[in-house]
Amino acid sequence: MTRSEDHQLVARVVSGQDANAFGELVSRHQSQVRNFLRKLTGDFALADDLAQDAFMHAWDKLQTFSGSGSFIGWLLKIAYTTFLQSRRRSKRYAEILQDVGQSMVDESRHHSMPAEEVTDLEKLLAVLDEEERAIMVMSYACGLSHREISDATSMPVGSVKSVIFRAKDKIRTNFDIKDHQYG
Amino acid sequence: MTSKIINMADSIKDAEDRFLESVFRTDSLADNGFSRMVMRRIRRRLWVKRLALPVAVVVGAAVAFKPLVGLVAMLAGILQVVPNDMLETANQALPHLSTYILGAMLLAACLLGLRTIEE
Repeated sequence: MTRSEDHQLVARVVSGQDANAFGELVSRHQSQVRNFLRKLTGDFALADDLAQDAFMHAWDKLQTFSGSGSFIGWLLKIAYTTFLQSRRRSKRYAEILQDVGQSMVDESRHHSMPAEEVTDLEKLLAVLDEEERAIMVMSYACGLSHREISDATSMPVGSVKSVIFRAKDKIRTNFDIKDHQYG
Repeated sequence: MTSKIINMADSIKDAEDRFLESVFRTDSLADNGFSRMVMRRIRRRLWVKRLALPVAVVVGAAVAFKPLVGLVAMLAGILQVVPNDMLETANQALPHLSTYILGAMLLAACLLGLRTIEE
């Protein structure tokens, strides 16, 4: 899965609205996008819905992909924006429900993981806030460079590094990990 | 030079980074019909886009039909007022006006059809 192959597929889609080439891009990157959103939401079904929406947005905006960075970086930027928009919408929805005196959405409807299946990663992600979680996942799970994360989150590179530093510090503090325990 | 140093600093990984990578690493997810679902939504959207123009033309024509008939009737009324000499002169200048109009409409329809096939 090389960067140039991705760029060739993008060119095919943009030049002739080749849906099959876009299908190839979806099947190449669906795993990373879905994994990224699963780690952010902790809800598999919601993450897959958001991933579908993210790919639809990518289809609409594909001609804006400049090709200067990696396609997966650009795709994760769209996925992150889709996630933030959905968070905003669900917050607003919760506010409306509270306004009319209804109970909050039943948590049991979500397909989040049962407590016994909570892995080390979920414990680790739980101590991070939303922004830290997104940046740590982009960095350590998706392998994006600081520059690519900066593009994806619209944050300066320095701020990305600060967030990673802060997140690592939280992990060290919360899990009482000493330097010699790494590796 | 500066950017090279920054890139190098980014790529240097210590034990902590390697530890975090091992924790964050997850197996790649099986597609399980996900790509097919996305492509189905995209193809549906493409069809809607293709059908939008012809449907808009049909709806527009249906809406505009009655006012157009009224307009033609009004023009016919005006033409009766116009002296016969003037009408004859117009006919002599453009003897096959109705054929030209029909031809232009057919050409427009063919171009629209070709564009749809091309897409």
